[in-house]
Amino acid sequence: MALVVDEKQIKDWLVQLKEKFVVIDTRKAILPAKQYFLPPRQDIFNFDKENGHLTSSDYRKKLLVFGLNLIDLEAMTQLDEIMKKPQPDFFYWQKRDKATLVGLTNESVKVAPGGDIILEKINPRQYQVLVLTDKGAKISKNKFFKDIAKPQIKKYLIKPNHGRKMLLDSELLADAVDWSVNHKIWDELAEKCLGCGICAYICPLCHCFSIKDRVSLNGNECVRCRQWDACTLPGFAKIAGGHNFHPSIKERYYNWFYHKFVRAYKEYGKSQCVACGRCKKYCPAGIDIMEVLSEIVEDYKKFKK
Amino acid sequence: MKNLYLPIKVKISKIKKLSKDVKLFRLALPRQSEGWFKKNEQGLIFVPGQFILVSLFGYGEAPFGAASSPYQDSYIDVVVRRVGALTKALHRLKQGDEVFMRGPYGNGFPLKFIEGKDMVLVTGGCGIPPISALIEYVLANRPQFGRVYLIYGARAPADLLMKDKLKEWRKKIKVLLTVDNPTKDWSGRVGMVSELINDIEINAKNAVAAMCGPGPMMDALEKILRPLGISDRRIFVSMERKMQCGIGKCQHCAVGDKYVCQDGPVFHFDQIDKSWD
Repeated sequence: MALVVDEKQIKDWLVQLKEKFVVIDTRKAILPAKQYFLPPRQDIFNFDKENGHLTSSDYRKKLLVFGLNLIDLEAMTQLDEIMKKPQPDFFYWQKRDKATLVGLTNESVKVAPGGDIILEKINPRQYQVLVLTDKGAKISKNKFFKDIAKPQIKKYLIKPNHGRKMLLDSELLADAVDWSVNHKIWDELAEKCLGCGICAYICPLCHCFSIKDRVSLNGNECVRCRQWDACTLPGFAKIAGGHNFHPSIKERYYNWFYHKFVRAYKEYGKSQCVACGRCKKYCPAGIDIMEVLSEIVEDYKKFKK
Repeated sequence: MKNLYLPIKVKISKIKKLSKDVKLFRLALPRQSEGWFKKNEQGLIFVPGQFILVSLFGYGEAPFGAASSPYQDSYIDVVVRRVGALTKALHRLKQGDEVFMRGPYGNGFPLKFIEGKDMVLVTGGCGIPPISALIEYVLANRPQFGRVYLIYGARAPADLLMKDKLKEWRKKIKVLLTVDNPTKDWSGRVGMVSELINDIEINAKNAVAAMCGPGPMMDALEKILRPLGISDRRIFVSMERKMQCGIGKCQHCAVGDKYVCQDGPVFHFDQIDKSWD
Protein backbone atom coordinates (compact mmCIF):
# COMPACT_ATOMS: atom_id res chain seq x y z
CA MET A 1 0.00 0.00 0.00
CA ALA A 2 1.13 3.50 -0.73
CA LEU A 3 -0.37 6.87 0.04
CA VAL A 4 -0.69 8.74 -3.22
CA VAL A 5 -2.00 12.09 -4.40
CA ASP A 6 -2.82 13.16 -7.93
CA GLU A 7 -0.71 16.09 -9.10
CA LYS A 8 -3.88 17.96 -10.09
CA GLN A 9 -5.27 17.69 -6.58
CA ILE A 10 -2.30 19.16 -4.72
CA LYS A 11 -3.69 22.64 -5.27
CA ASP A 12 -7.06 21.69 -3.82
CA TRP A 13 -5.32 20.14 -0.85
CA LEU A 14 -3.46 23.39 -0.22
CA VAL A 15 -6.72 25.32 -0.41
CA GLN A 16 -8.19 23.03 2.22
CA LEU A 17 -5.10 23.40 4.42
CA LYS A 18 -5.63 27.15 4.43
CA GLU A 19 -8.55 26.62 6.79
CA LYS A 20 -6.13 25.61 9.53
CA PHE A 21 -2.74 27.00 8.50
CA VAL A 22 -1.08 30.02 7.10
CA VAL A 23 0.12 28.32 3.94
CA ILE A 24 3.25 29.59 2.24
CA ASP A 25 4.17 28.26 -1.15
CA THR A 26 7.95 28.59 -1.35
CA ARG A 27 8.43 27.18 -4.82
CA LYS A 28 9.08 30.57 -6.36
CA ALA A 29 10.59 32.27 -3.31
CA ILE A 30 14.03 33.82 -3.72
CA LEU A 31 14.98 33.74 -0.04
CA PRO A 32 15.40 30.33 1.60
CA ALA A 33 12.96 28.90 4.14
CA LYS A 34 15.03 30.17 7.08
CA GLN A 35 13.24 33.49 6.52
CA TYR A 36 10.08 32.17 8.16
CA PHE A 37 11.80 31.18 11.40
CA LEU A 38 14.76 33.55 11.50
CA PRO A 39 13.22 36.53 9.70
CA PRO A 40 15.36 39.23 8.07
CA ARG A 41 14.18 41.56 10.82
CA GLN A 42 12.17 40.66 13.88
CA ASP A 43 11.15 42.76 16.86
CA ILE A 44 11.98 40.59 19.85
CA PHE A 45 11.41 42.94 22.79
CA ASN A 46 9.32 46.02 23.44
CA PHE A 47 10.29 48.34 26.24
CA ASP A 48 7.94 51.04 27.45
CA LYS A 49 10.00 53.81 29.02
CA GLU A 50 6.95 55.38 30.67
CA ASN A 51 6.06 52.42 32.85
CA GLY A 52 9.29 50.41 32.59
CA HIS A 53 7.53 47.33 31.22
CA LEU A 54 9.45 44.89 29.07
CA THR A 55 7.47 42.57 26.84
CA SER A 56 8.68 39.83 24.58
CA SER A 57 7.21 39.11 21.17
CA ASP A 58 4.56 36.44 21.03
CA TYR A 59 3.86 34.24 18.06
CA ARG A 60 0.72 32.24 17.47
CA LYS A 61 0.55 31.61 13.73
CA LYS A 62 0.62 28.04 12.51
CA LEU A 63 2.66 28.05 9.35
CA LEU A 64 2.66 25.41 6.67
CA VAL A 65 5.61 25.81 4.39
CA PHE A 66 4.96 24.05 1.12
CA GLY A 67 7.15 23.16 -1.80
CA LEU A 68 10.59 22.69 -0.32
CA ASN A 69 12.86 20.58 -2.49
CA LEU A 70 15.11 17.89 -1.04
CA ILE A 71 18.09 20.22 -0.73
CA ASP A 72 16.07 22.84 1.10
CA LEU A 73 14.64 20.19 3.42
CA GLU A 74 18.15 19.06 4.23
CA ALA A 75 19.09 22.66 4.95
CA MET A 76 16.13 23.03 7.32
CA THR A 77 17.17 19.89 9.20
CA GLN A 78 20.66 21.34 9.60
CA LEU A 79 19.38 24.76 10.63
CA ASP A 80 17.14 23.12 13.26
CA GLU A 81 20.21 21.37 14.62
CA ILE A 82 22.17 24.63 14.73
CA MET A 83 19.34 26.41 16.50
CA LYS A 84 19.12 23.66 19.10
CA LYS A 85 22.75 23.70 20.20
CA PRO A 86 24.05 24.38 22.75
CA GLN A 87 20.74 25.74 24.00
CA PRO A 88 17.59 26.27 21.96
CA ASP A 89 17.16 29.65 20.34
CA PHE A 90 13.87 30.94 21.77
CA PHE A 91 12.73 33.14 18.91
CA TYR A 92 13.52 30.56 16.25
CA TRP A 93 11.67 27.72 17.99
CA GLN A 94 8.78 29.99 18.88
CA LYS A 95 7.96 29.93 15.18
CA ARG A 96 9.49 26.67 14.09
CA ASP A 97 7.69 24.51 16.66
CA LYS A 98 4.35 25.58 15.23
CA ALA A 99 5.31 25.05 11.61
CA THR A 100 4.78 22.10 9.30
CA LEU A 101 7.16 21.55 6.41
CA VAL A 102 5.93 19.94 3.21
CA GLY A 103 8.50 18.86 0.67
CA LEU A 104 7.80 18.49 -3.01
CA THR A 105 10.20 16.73 -5.32
CA ASN A 106 10.31 15.48 -8.87
CA GLU A 107 13.24 13.31 -7.88
CA SER A 108 12.95 9.88 -6.27
CA VAL A 109 13.69 9.98 -2.57
CA LYS A 110 16.48 7.70 -1.37
CA VAL A 111 16.78 9.02 2.16
CA ALA A 112 14.25 11.57 3.38
CA PRO A 113 16.35 14.58 4.37
CA GLY A 114 13.77 16.27 6.58
CA GLY A 115 10.37 17.90 6.67
CA ASP A 116 7.07 16.51 7.97
CA ILE A 117 5.71 15.24 4.67
CA ILE A 118 7.35 14.81 1.30
CA LEU A 119 5.41 14.53 -1.92
CA GLU A 120 7.59 12.40 -4.17
CA LYS A 121 6.94 12.10 -7.88
CA ILE A 122 6.29 8.49 -8.86
CA ASN A 123 4.79 8.84 -12.31
CA PRO A 124 3.74 11.66 -14.65
CA ARG A 125 0.41 12.12 -12.87
CA GLN A 126 0.98 11.16 -9.26
CA TYR A 127 3.03 11.84 -6.16
CA GLN A 128 3.63 9.45 -3.32
CA VAL A 129 3.05 10.93 0.14
CA LEU A 130 5.91 10.18 2.52
CA VAL A 131 4.74 10.84 6.06
CA LEU A 132 7.75 11.49 8.28
CA THR A 133 6.51 12.95 11.56
CA ASP A 134 3.42 13.22 13.76
CA LYS A 135 2.83 16.68 12.36
CA GLY A 136 2.91 15.12 8.91
CA ALA A 137 0.50 12.36 9.94
CA LYS A 138 -2.00 14.98 11.13
CA ILE A 139 -2.34 16.52 7.70
CA SER A 140 -2.16 13.29 5.76
CA LYS A 141 -5.73 12.29 6.56
CA ASN A 142 -7.74 14.05 3.89
CA LYS A 143 -9.89 13.26 0.87
CA PHE A 144 -7.08 13.94 -1.61
CA PHE A 145 -4.56 11.40 -0.34
CA LYS A 146 -5.53 7.85 -1.25
CA ASP A 147 -4.14 4.48 -0.25
CA ILE A 148 -3.43 2.56 -3.41
CA ALA A 149 -2.38 -1.08 -3.45
CA LYS A 150 -0.08 -1.06 -6.44
CA PRO A 151 0.69 2.42 -7.72
CA GLN A 152 2.81 2.81 -10.82
CA ILE A 153 6.26 3.77 -9.50
CA LYS A 154 8.87 5.17 -11.84
CA LYS A 155 12.37 6.11 -10.70
CA TYR A 156 13.38 9.70 -11.31
CA LEU A 157 17.07 9.85 -10.64
CA ILE A 158 18.97 13.08 -10.92
CA LYS A 159 22.75 12.98 -11.01
CA PRO A 160 24.22 14.95 -8.12
CA ASN A 161 26.03 18.10 -9.22
CA HIS A 162 29.73 18.64 -8.57
CA GLY A 163 29.04 20.54 -5.35
CA ARG A 164 26.89 17.77 -3.93
CA LYS A 165 29.64 15.29 -4.68
CA MET A 166 32.26 17.41 -2.96
CA LEU A 167 30.08 17.71 0.15
CA LEU A 168 30.19 13.96 0.58
CA ASP A 169 33.67 14.36 2.02
CA SER A 170 33.31 17.23 4.48
CA GLU A 171 36.47 16.20 6.27
CA LEU A 172 38.47 16.86 3.13
CA LEU A 173 36.74 20.21 2.66
CA ALA A 174 37.55 21.17 6.26
CA ASP A 175 41.21 20.21 5.90
CA ALA A 176 41.53 21.96 2.54
CA VAL A 177 39.93 25.24 3.62
CA ASP A 178 41.91 25.25 6.87
CA TRP A 179 45.11 24.69 4.90
CA SER A 180 44.24 27.34 2.30
CA VAL A 181 44.57 30.36 4.58
CA ASN A 182 47.63 31.63 2.68
CA HIS A 183 46.37 30.58 -0.75
CA LYS A 184 46.46 33.28 -3.42
CA ILE A 185 42.81 32.69 -4.16
CA TRP A 186 41.79 34.78 -1.15
CA ASP A 187 43.63 37.79 -2.59
CA GLU A 188 41.88 37.28 -5.91
CA LEU A 189 38.50 36.97 -4.22
CA ALA A 190 39.16 40.05 -2.12
CA GLU A 191 39.53 41.95 -5.40
CA LYS A 192 36.29 40.55 -6.77
CA CYS A 193 34.00 40.44 -3.73
CA LEU A 194 31.89 43.55 -3.16
CA GLY A 195 31.35 42.73 0.51
CA CYS A 196 27.59 43.13 0.05
CA GLY A 197 26.51 40.17 2.17
CA ILE A 198 24.03 38.77 -0.36
CA CYS A 199 25.66 35.32 -0.26
CA ALA A 200 24.93 35.09 3.45
CA TYR A 201 21.37 36.40 3.17
CA ILE A 202 20.53 34.01 0.39
CA CYS A 203 22.16 30.98 2.05
CA PRO A 204 19.67 28.57 3.64
CA LEU A 205 22.17 27.87 6.44
CA CYS A 206 23.86 31.20 7.19
CA HIS A 207 22.29 32.39 10.40
CA CYS A 208 24.39 35.19 11.81
CA PHE A 209 22.51 38.15 13.21
CA SER A 210 22.79 41.44 15.05
CA ILE A 211 20.65 42.77 17.84
CA LYS A 212 19.74 46.43 17.43
CA ASP A 213 17.55 48.88 19.32
CA ARG A 214 15.09 51.18 17.62
CA VAL A 215 13.39 54.09 19.34
CA SER A 216 10.06 55.74 18.51
CA LEU A 217 10.12 59.43 17.59
CA ASN A 218 8.80 60.55 20.97
CA GLY A 219 11.44 58.40 22.65
CA ASN A 220 8.99 56.47 24.81
CA GLU A 221 8.96 53.16 23.07
CA CYS A 222 12.05 51.10 22.38
CA VAL A 223 12.10 48.01 20.26
CA ARG A 224 14.96 45.55 20.41
CA CYS A 225 15.14 43.81 17.09
CA ARG A 226 17.12 40.93 15.75
CA GLN A 227 18.15 41.20 12.14
CA TRP A 228 20.22 39.31 9.61
CA ASP A 229 23.84 40.25 9.44
CA ALA A 230 26.58 38.95 7.15
CA CYS A 231 30.14 38.21 8.18
CA THR A 232 31.45 39.71 4.95
CA LEU A 233 30.07 43.16 5.81
CA PRO A 234 32.73 45.70 6.91
CA GLY A 235 31.45 46.31 10.44
CA PHE A 236 30.80 42.70 11.39
CA ALA A 237 33.63 42.44 13.92
CA LYS A 238 34.00 46.13 14.74
CA ILE A 239 33.65 47.18 18.36
CA ALA A 240 32.87 50.50 20.05
CA GLY A 241 35.90 52.74 19.90
CA GLY A 242 36.52 51.71 16.30
CA HIS A 243 38.74 48.64 16.54
CA ASN A 244 37.88 46.14 13.82
CA PHE A 245 38.94 42.52 14.34
CA HIS A 246 38.34 41.72 10.64
CA PRO A 247 39.28 44.92 8.85
CA SER A 248 39.90 43.52 5.36
CA ILE A 249 37.50 41.89 2.95
CA LYS A 250 40.04 39.12 2.50
CA GLU A 251 39.85 38.13 6.16
CA ARG A 252 36.08 38.40 6.20
CA TYR A 253 35.62 36.35 3.06
CA TYR A 254 37.98 33.68 4.32
CA ASN A 255 36.13 33.65 7.65
CA TRP A 256 32.88 33.00 5.77
CA PHE A 257 34.40 29.94 4.11
CA TYR A 258 36.12 28.92 7.31
CA HIS A 259 32.82 28.94 9.16
CA LYS A 260 30.97 26.91 6.55
CA PHE A 261 33.59 24.27 5.99
CA VAL A 262 35.92 24.20 9.00
CA ARG A 263 34.21 25.55 12.11
CA ALA A 264 30.90 23.91 11.14
CA TYR A 265 32.63 20.60 10.49
CA LYS A 266 34.24 20.69 13.92
CA GLU A 267 30.96 21.71 15.57
CA TYR A 268 28.49 19.50 13.72
CA GLY A 269 30.53 17.00 11.74
CA LYS A 270 29.41 18.40 8.40
CA SER A 271 29.83 21.41 6.16
CA GLN A 272 27.28 24.18 6.52
CA CYS A 273 26.49 24.03 2.83
CA VAL A 274 23.98 21.99 0.84
CA ALA A 275 25.11 23.10 -2.63
CA CYS A 276 21.77 24.73 -3.42
CA GLY A 277 23.53 27.13 -5.77
CA ARG A 278 21.83 30.30 -4.53
CA CYS A 279 25.10 32.06 -3.61
CA LYS A 280 26.41 31.66 -7.12
CA LYS A 281 23.12 32.63 -8.70
CA TYR A 282 22.74 35.88 -6.74
CA CYS A 283 26.35 37.01 -6.27
CA PRO A 284 26.60 40.39 -8.04
CA ALA A 285 30.32 39.81 -8.58
CA GLY A 286 29.76 36.43 -10.18
CA ILE A 287 31.71 34.41 -7.64
CA ASP A 288 31.11 30.67 -7.91
CA ILE A 289 31.68 29.27 -4.44
CA MET A 290 31.82 25.67 -5.61
CA GLU A 291 34.48 26.57 -8.16
CA VAL A 292 36.51 28.28 -5.43
CA LEU A 293 36.14 25.24 -3.21
CA SER A 294 37.10 22.99 -6.06
CA GLU A 295 40.28 24.92 -6.74
CA ILE A 296 41.29 24.84 -3.08
CA VAL A 297 40.63 21.12 -2.81
CA GLU A 298 42.63 20.35 -5.96
CA ASP A 299 45.60 22.40 -4.73
CA TYR A 300 45.38 20.82 -1.30
CA LYS A 301 45.45 17.35 -2.83
CA LYS A 302 48.54 18.29 -4.86
CA PHE A 303 50.15 19.65 -1.70
CA LYS A 304 49.44 16.45 0.20
CA LYS A 305 50.96 14.23 -2.48
CA MET B 1 11.55 27.01 26.63
CA LYS B 2 13.84 29.46 28.35
CA ASN B 3 14.30 32.75 26.54
CA LEU B 4 18.03 33.31 26.84
CA TYR B 5 17.81 36.73 25.22
CA LEU B 6 15.48 38.06 27.91
CA PRO B 7 17.40 40.45 30.18
CA ILE B 8 16.56 41.11 33.82
CA LYS B 9 16.09 44.54 35.30
CA VAL B 10 18.81 45.72 37.68
CA LYS B 11 19.25 48.91 39.67
CA ILE B 12 22.42 50.96 39.77
CA SER B 13 23.11 51.03 43.48
CA LYS B 14 26.40 52.89 43.23
CA ILE B 15 28.43 54.80 40.66
CA LYS B 16 32.08 55.64 41.13
CA LYS B 17 34.26 57.66 38.81
CA LEU B 18 37.53 55.79 38.33
CA SER B 19 39.24 58.05 35.79
CA LYS B 20 38.30 60.80 33.38
CA ASP B 21 36.42 58.43 31.10
CA VAL B 22 35.84 55.34 33.25
CA LYS B 23 33.10 54.71 35.79
CA LEU B 24 32.26 51.75 37.96
CA PHE B 25 28.59 50.74 38.10
CA ARG B 26 27.27 48.54 40.86
CA LEU B 27 24.28 46.52 39.62
CA ALA B 28 21.84 45.13 42.16
CA LEU B 29 18.45 43.48 41.86
CA PRO B 30 15.87 46.26 42.02
CA ARG B 31 13.96 45.10 45.10
CA GLN B 32 15.40 43.13 47.93
CA SER B 33 12.27 40.97 47.92
CA GLU B 34 13.50 39.55 44.64
CA GLY B 35 16.46 38.06 46.47
CA TRP B 36 20.11 38.10 45.60
CA PHE B 37 21.92 36.86 42.51
CA LYS B 38 21.85 33.08 42.35
CA LYS B 39 24.88 31.23 43.69
CA ASN B 40 26.31 28.08 42.12
CA GLU B 41 27.28 25.02 44.13
CA GLN B 42 30.63 26.64 44.99
CA GLY B 43 28.84 29.68 46.35
CA LEU B 44 29.79 31.93 43.45
CA ILE B 45 27.37 34.09 41.45
CA PHE B 46 29.76 33.96 38.50
CA VAL B 47 33.15 32.49 37.71
CA PRO B 48 35.86 35.17 37.62
CA GLY B 49 36.50 35.88 33.94
CA GLN B 50 32.85 35.47 32.96
CA PHE B 51 31.04 38.46 31.50
CA ILE B 52 27.55 39.86 31.58
CA LEU B 53 25.67 41.72 28.85
CA VAL B 54 24.48 45.08 30.12
CA SER B 55 21.85 46.92 28.15
CA LEU B 56 19.96 50.14 28.07
CA PHE B 57 16.91 50.06 25.84
CA GLY B 58 17.36 52.44 22.96
CA TYR B 59 21.14 52.17 23.06
CA GLY B 60 21.76 48.44 22.86
CA GLU B 61 23.64 45.76 24.69
CA ALA B 62 27.36 45.10 25.25
CA PRO B 63 29.56 42.66 27.19
CA PHE B 64 31.37 43.67 30.37
CA GLY B 65 33.61 41.56 32.57
CA ALA B 66 32.23 41.20 36.09
CA ALA B 67 34.68 42.95 38.44
CA SER B 68 33.36 42.40 41.96
CA SER B 69 33.89 39.45 44.26
CA PRO B 70 32.09 36.39 42.91
CA TYR B 71 31.05 35.55 46.49
CA GLN B 72 29.21 38.86 46.80
CA ASP B 73 25.67 37.93 45.86
CA SER B 74 23.99 41.28 46.40
CA TYR B 75 25.60 43.07 43.45
CA ILE B 76 27.84 42.83 40.39
CA ASP B 77 30.29 45.60 39.56
CA VAL B 78 31.10 46.51 35.98
CA VAL B 79 33.72 48.98 34.82
CA VAL B 80 32.66 51.06 31.84
CA ARG B 81 34.86 53.22 29.66
CA ARG B 82 33.04 55.88 27.66
CA VAL B 83 33.72 54.89 24.04
CA GLY B 84 30.48 54.30 22.13
CA ALA B 85 26.76 55.07 22.12
CA LEU B 86 25.82 52.65 24.89
CA THR B 87 28.69 53.51 27.21
CA LYS B 88 28.07 57.24 26.73
CA ALA B 89 24.44 56.71 27.69
CA LEU B 90 25.45 54.62 30.71
CA HIS B 91 27.77 57.39 31.86
CA ARG B 92 24.83 59.80 31.95
CA LEU B 93 22.89 57.60 34.39
CA LYS B 94 22.56 58.25 38.10
CA GLN B 95 22.42 56.08 41.17
CA GLY B 96 18.99 54.47 41.40
CA ASP B 97 18.47 54.32 37.63
CA GLU B 98 17.58 51.00 36.10
CA VAL B 99 19.35 49.08 33.36
CA PHE B 100 19.07 45.52 32.10
CA MET B 101 21.50 42.64 32.16
CA ARG B 102 21.75 38.98 31.19
CA GLY B 103 24.39 36.40 31.92
CA PRO B 104 26.86 35.53 33.32
CA TYR B 105 28.23 33.98 30.13
CA GLY B 106 31.45 32.32 29.05
CA ASN B 107 33.81 29.98 30.83
CA GLY B 108 35.83 32.09 33.27
CA PHE B 109 39.24 31.23 34.66
CA PRO B 110 39.91 27.55 35.48
CA LEU B 111 39.52 27.80 39.25
CA LYS B 112 40.26 24.15 39.98
CA PHE B 113 43.42 24.15 37.87
CA ILE B 114 44.95 27.27 39.41
CA GLU B 115 44.51 26.02 42.97
CA GLY B 116 47.74 25.55 44.88
CA LYS B 117 49.82 27.45 42.34
CA ASP B 118 51.86 30.63 42.22
CA MET B 119 50.19 33.26 40.08
CA VAL B 120 51.26 36.16 37.93
CA LEU B 121 48.36 38.35 36.88
CA VAL B 122 48.98 40.87 34.13
CA THR B 123 46.61 43.53 32.96
CA GLY B 124 46.53 46.96 31.44
CA GLY B 125 44.15 49.92 31.41
CA CYS B 126 40.55 48.79 31.15
CA GLY B 127 41.46 45.09 31.31
CA ILE B 128 41.31 45.08 35.09
CA PRO B 129 37.69 43.88 35.74
CA PRO B 130 38.04 40.10 35.23
CA ILE B 131 41.44 40.15 36.94
CA SER B 132 39.88 42.06 39.81
CA ALA B 133 37.21 39.38 40.25
CA LEU B 134 39.92 36.72 40.15
CA ILE B 135 41.95 38.51 42.82
CA GLU B 136 38.85 38.77 45.02
CA TYR B 137 38.39 35.03 44.59
CA VAL B 138 42.05 34.35 45.44
CA LEU B 139 41.88 36.57 48.51
CA ALA B 140 38.79 34.75 49.76
CA ASN B 141 40.73 31.49 49.45
CA ARG B 142 44.20 32.87 50.18
CA PRO B 143 45.71 29.76 51.84
CA GLN B 144 44.98 27.71 48.73
CA PHE B 145 47.30 29.82 46.60
CA GLY B 146 51.04 30.36 46.54
CA ARG B 147 52.73 33.65 45.80
CA VAL B 148 50.49 36.01 43.83
CA TYR B 149 51.65 38.98 41.79
CA LEU B 150 49.65 41.60 39.97
CA ILE B 151 51.35 43.59 37.24
CA TYR B 152 49.09 46.44 36.24
CA GLY B 153 50.03 48.91 33.55
CA ALA B 154 48.41 52.06 32.21
CA ARG B 155 49.27 55.01 30.03
CA ALA B 156 49.55 57.43 32.95
CA PRO B 157 49.06 57.21 36.73
CA ALA B 158 45.64 58.84 36.34
CA ASP B 159 44.55 55.95 34.11
CA LEU B 160 45.15 53.28 36.75
CA LEU B 161 41.72 52.15 37.88
CA MET B 162 40.36 50.77 41.15
CA LYS B 163 43.02 52.48 43.27
CA ASP B 164 41.22 51.80 46.55
CA LYS B 165 41.11 48.10 45.69
CA LEU B 166 44.81 48.13 44.84
CA LYS B 167 45.50 49.42 48.32
CA GLU B 168 43.53 46.59 49.86
CA TRP B 169 45.08 43.93 47.64
CA ARG B 170 48.62 45.09 48.48
CA LYS B 171 48.11 43.70 51.96
CA LYS B 172 47.84 40.15 50.66
CA ILE B 173 49.44 40.00 47.23
CA LYS B 174 52.32 41.82 45.59
CA VAL B 175 51.13 44.65 43.34
CA LEU B 176 53.50 46.02 40.71
CA LEU B 177 52.33 49.15 38.91
CA THR B 178 53.79 50.52 35.74
CA VAL B 179 52.88 53.45 33.47
CA ASP B 180 54.07 54.64 30.07
CA ASN B 181 53.96 58.36 30.87
CA PRO B 182 54.97 58.90 34.50
CA THR B 183 54.21 62.05 36.46
CA LYS B 184 56.87 63.65 38.71
CA ASP B 185 55.63 61.94 41.83
CA TRP B 186 55.42 58.47 40.21
CA SER B 187 57.25 55.84 42.22
CA GLY B 188 56.33 52.71 40.21
CA ARG B 189 57.88 51.32 37.06
CA VAL B 190 57.84 52.84 33.58
CA GLY B 191 56.70 50.67 30.67
CA MET B 192 56.11 46.94 30.47
CA VAL B 193 59.80 46.25 31.05
CA SER B 194 61.74 43.07 31.59
CA GLU B 195 63.19 44.44 34.86
CA LEU B 196 59.81 43.68 36.43
CA ILE B 197 61.04 40.10 36.54
CA ASN B 198 63.43 41.01 39.33
CA ASP B 199 60.47 41.68 41.62
CA ILE B 200 58.88 38.32 40.95
CA GLU B 201 59.79 35.12 42.71
CA ILE B 202 57.80 32.12 41.66
CA ASN B 203 58.22 28.43 41.18
CA ALA B 204 57.74 28.40 37.40
CA LYS B 205 56.95 24.70 37.37
CA ASN B 206 53.99 25.28 39.60
CA ALA B 207 52.81 28.66 38.36
CA VAL B 208 50.07 30.04 36.18
CA ALA B 209 49.52 33.44 34.62
CA ALA B 210 46.31 35.25 33.78
CA MET B 211 46.11 38.19 31.41
CA CYS B 212 43.50 40.60 30.21
CA GLY B 213 44.05 43.70 28.22
CA PRO B 214 45.09 45.22 24.93
CA GLY B 215 48.30 45.10 22.86
CA PRO B 216 50.98 45.75 25.53
CA MET B 217 50.11 42.35 26.96
CA MET B 218 52.20 40.88 24.14
CA ASP B 219 55.17 42.74 25.65
CA ALA B 220 54.40 41.27 29.04
CA LEU B 221 54.25 37.82 27.53
CA GLU B 222 57.60 38.08 25.79
CA LYS B 223 59.51 40.11 28.37
CA ILE B 224 58.08 38.73 31.57
CA LEU B 225 55.93 35.60 31.51
CA ARG B 226 57.93 33.47 29.09
CA PRO B 227 61.32 34.47 30.59
CA LEU B 228 59.91 33.55 34.00
CA GLY B 229 59.46 30.07 32.57
CA ILE B 230 55.66 29.89 32.52
CA SER B 231 54.53 27.77 29.57
CA ASP B 232 52.04 29.19 27.04
CA ARG B 233 49.62 26.46 28.03
CA ARG B 234 49.49 27.86 31.54
CA ILE B 235 49.01 31.43 30.51
CA PHE B 236 45.30 32.19 30.53
CA VAL B 237 44.15 35.16 28.53
CA SER B 238 40.77 36.81 28.45
CA MET B 239 39.85 37.91 24.94
CA GLU B 240 37.69 40.72 23.70
CA ARG B 241 35.49 40.53 20.61
CA LYS B 242 32.34 42.05 19.24
CA MET B 243 29.41 40.17 20.73
CA GLN B 244 25.69 40.21 20.11
CA CYS B 245 24.04 37.05 21.39
CA GLY B 246 26.48 35.90 24.08
CA ILE B 247 25.44 32.28 23.59
CA GLY B 248 27.38 31.00 20.58
CA LYS B 249 24.88 31.72 17.82
CA CYS B 250 25.40 35.08 16.16
CA GLN B 251 28.95 34.47 14.85
CA HIS B 252 30.34 37.92 15.67
CA CYS B 253 32.93 36.76 18.20
CA ALA B 254 34.27 33.78 16.24
CA VAL B 255 38.04 33.34 16.34
CA GLY B 256 39.14 30.42 14.21
CA ASP B 257 37.14 27.44 15.41
CA LYS B 258 36.25 29.04 18.74
CA TYR B 259 33.54 31.36 19.97
CA VAL B 260 34.87 33.87 22.47
CA CYS B 261 31.46 34.12 24.15
CA GLN B 262 31.16 30.42 24.75
CA ASP B 263 34.51 28.65 24.47
CA GLY B 264 36.11 31.73 26.08
CA PRO B 265 36.51 34.51 26.90
CA VAL B 266 39.36 32.80 28.77
CA PHE B 267 41.72 30.74 26.62
CA HIS B 268 45.01 28.97 27.08
CA PHE B 269 47.44 31.24 25.28
CA ASP B 270 48.61 28.48 22.94
CA GLN B 271 44.99 27.95 21.83
CA ILE B 272 44.65 31.42 20.35
CA ASP B 273 48.27 32.39 19.79
CA LYS B 274 47.79 33.44 16.16
CA SER B 275 44.62 35.40 16.69
CA TRP B 276 45.70 37.39 19.71
CA ASP B 277 45.10 41.12 19.21
